[in-house]
Amino acid sequence: MDILEKLQILSGAARYDASCASSGSRREGPACGTGNTSSSGICHSWADDGRCISLLKILLSNDCIYDCAYCVNRSTNPVERASFTAREVIDLTLDFYRRNYIEGLFLSSAVMQSPDQTMERMVMVAEALRTEEQFGGYIHMKIIPGCSRDLVRKAGLYADRISVNIELPSQASLQRLAPQKHKHAILEPMALIGREIATSLLERKASRRAPRFAPAGQSTQMIIGASPENDFQILRLSQGLYKKMNLKRVYYSAYVPVIADNRLPVLAAPPLLREHRLYQADWLLRFYGFSAEEILSDDAPHLDESFDPKTAWALRHPEFFPVEINRADYATLLRVPGIGVLSAKRIVAARRFSRITPEGLKKIGVVIKRAKYFITCSGRSFENPDQPPALIRQRLLLGESSEAPMSILPKQLVLPGLIA
Amino acid sequence: MNRYLYDGTADGLLSSIAWILEEEPDPEKVTLAKRMDTLFEEGFTISTDATLAESLFFRLKQHAPDAAHTLYSFMLAEKEGMETSLLHYVSLAFKHGDKVKGYLTHPAVRDIVNVAQKAGRELHRMKGLLRFEKLQDGAYLAKMEPDYNIIHPLAYHFSSRLRAQHWFLYDVKRRMAARWNNGTLQFGTIEQFTTPALSEDEKKVQALWQAFFKTIAIPDRKNPRLQKSNMPMKYWKYLVEKQGE
Ligand code: SF4
Repeated sequence: MDILEKLQILSGAARYDASCASSGSRREGPACGTGNTSSSGICHSWADDGRCISLLKILLSNDCIYDCAYCVNRSTNPVERASFTAREVIDLTLDFYRRNYIEGLFLSSAVMQSPDQTMERMVMVAEALRTEEQFGGYIHMKIIPGCSRDLVRKAGLYADRISVNIELPSQASLQRLAPQKHKHAILEPMALIGREIATSLLERKASRRAPRFAPAGQSTQMIIGASPENDFQILRLSQGLYKKMNLKRVYYSAYVPVIADNRLPVLAAPPLLREHRLYQADWLLRFYGFSAEEILSDDAPHLDESFDPKTAWALRHPEFFPVEINRADYATLLRVPGIGVLSAKRIVAARRFSRITPEGLKKIGVVIKRAKYFITCSGRSFENPDQPPALIRQRLLLGESSEAPMSILPKQLVLPGLIA
Repeated sequence: MNRYLYDGTADGLLSSIAWILEEEPDPEKVTLAKRMDTLFEEGFTISTDATLAESLFFRLKQHAPDAAHTLYSFMLAEKEGMETSLLHYVSLAFKHGDKVKGYLTHPAVRDIVNVAQKAGRELHRMKGLLRFEKLQDGAYLAKMEPDYNIIHPLAYHFSSRLRAQHWFLYDVKRRMAARWNNGTLQFGTIEQFTTPALSEDEKKVQALWQAFFKTIAIPDRKNPRLQKSNMPMKYWKYLVEKQGE
């Protein structure tokens, strides 16, 4: 099989992996070598689905001995199999990098003979790139659950970011859909990576020559909609991962029905809107000071389809509003629907010079389409301040101020008997 | 209200600003424009002084590094007709330091920051969208037609990234080129550009990239609108993955 065919098979198999980030690491790169990384990350192209292409995202092999129900590469699915040699991956990476197609390599793999054997071959690629080829670009490596601690440690020394996929949001779902993967084989390396990153940071404070360990941190990914967990469970899991395991990112990947399996729900289409809402809620956790318990509850465990999670929260908390633009602190401004990190910072910066008037708000580029129901500006309100939330709800829904509509609203159908 | 003129060069612009800040009691009350040499043109022409221009930039960099960065990005845009705004912006930057970037309610600050942001955005975008082709002699060449004059900062970016290879950047419209070889970076202009022959394996590598580009997109999620807003069509001309579309 020639390299073009292999590339098609092994990048096609990797495309459902959501993470593409190439940020969070600054690597000077060896003096005589090729490549460095930039802390803000660089997109090199945008694919036909609109997603940023930053890394050469491929599997080392799709020849899997496992049989996870949701995966195209499962051993019982008759797809064409291919595996790269280490040399092929190295050459592709360098050829693409030298032409500025990519920031670096994202390497994952199906389980070939065993977790250890697979991980060993992946580490070999990274090691050769770093040592023999003096490659200083970005490397993101997946950890194969069940591989030895030594290999995890080695991976962290060569890669900028490493990640272990949680795959499914609960142990029960994992058991049912990915019977060969065990919860502890996923959580244990995550904890190990967390500890190694923390130690490396400490050591590098003491000496800049201490080795770096995954300087861009660790991330994980879970599949949304292949199992019955609700959004509240998922968000609480993410919150725990951010707080306790110190993860940089949790990625959510809408389940794309690739093969029929009676353990899987029948979906008309991938639950894209749900994925979108989860990302929005995830932002609220990471940058807006919200907790999972503020966004959802046991009584209302699903994210609203019609409103983004911040607007939904605001509509449930009329007592918090209106917020006065000239007085509210940064954290409070961030709670206003339609005011993001950038707008909140601009407001705080502009207030230093003079009081902000409604016109001034427009001048500094703050869009008030959504915010107008929730703010006052120098005591003036944009809308009648006594509108009941139900009315605001309606106006937001019908009015000019609703978000661009998602063209498809996939409804999830769950097969009877699936919910444990 | 005093009106000042300068010769239209970048050095002239910066040195007039330096001169005005030194001599005028209230620089925010005067205007500055490019000299047109028309018959009834009014105003006092300030002569150009490159050292004055340079020292202004370095003083600003010490006093307000972020504002100096904005000034640098603004200059990449080579915008005419905004000299007075720039003068007021620099004056405010010396007065308020880096906090000036938050003073978006001031029209001069807003105008300068806006233009600087656009140029900065294109520079960042180009760091990703530039495409090198390997030539027969083993060197690499990247052609581009950016809106702003970003070849200098772009070349510095690649000089710390693609250190081990010999490469050229070429701004087709401005006929400007940058060259990196054996650890030195040079800039110049090219009067007669003839496209050199490509290396033998170049088309093969390009085909691999095109194949990767096609397969990495999720077929059920085609979204050309999003693709175009992230990667405007004006950049497609030199994108290997967008050839033949
Ligand atoms: S181990 Fe990975 S590649 Fe193999 S079937 Fe499971 S999800 Fe697919």
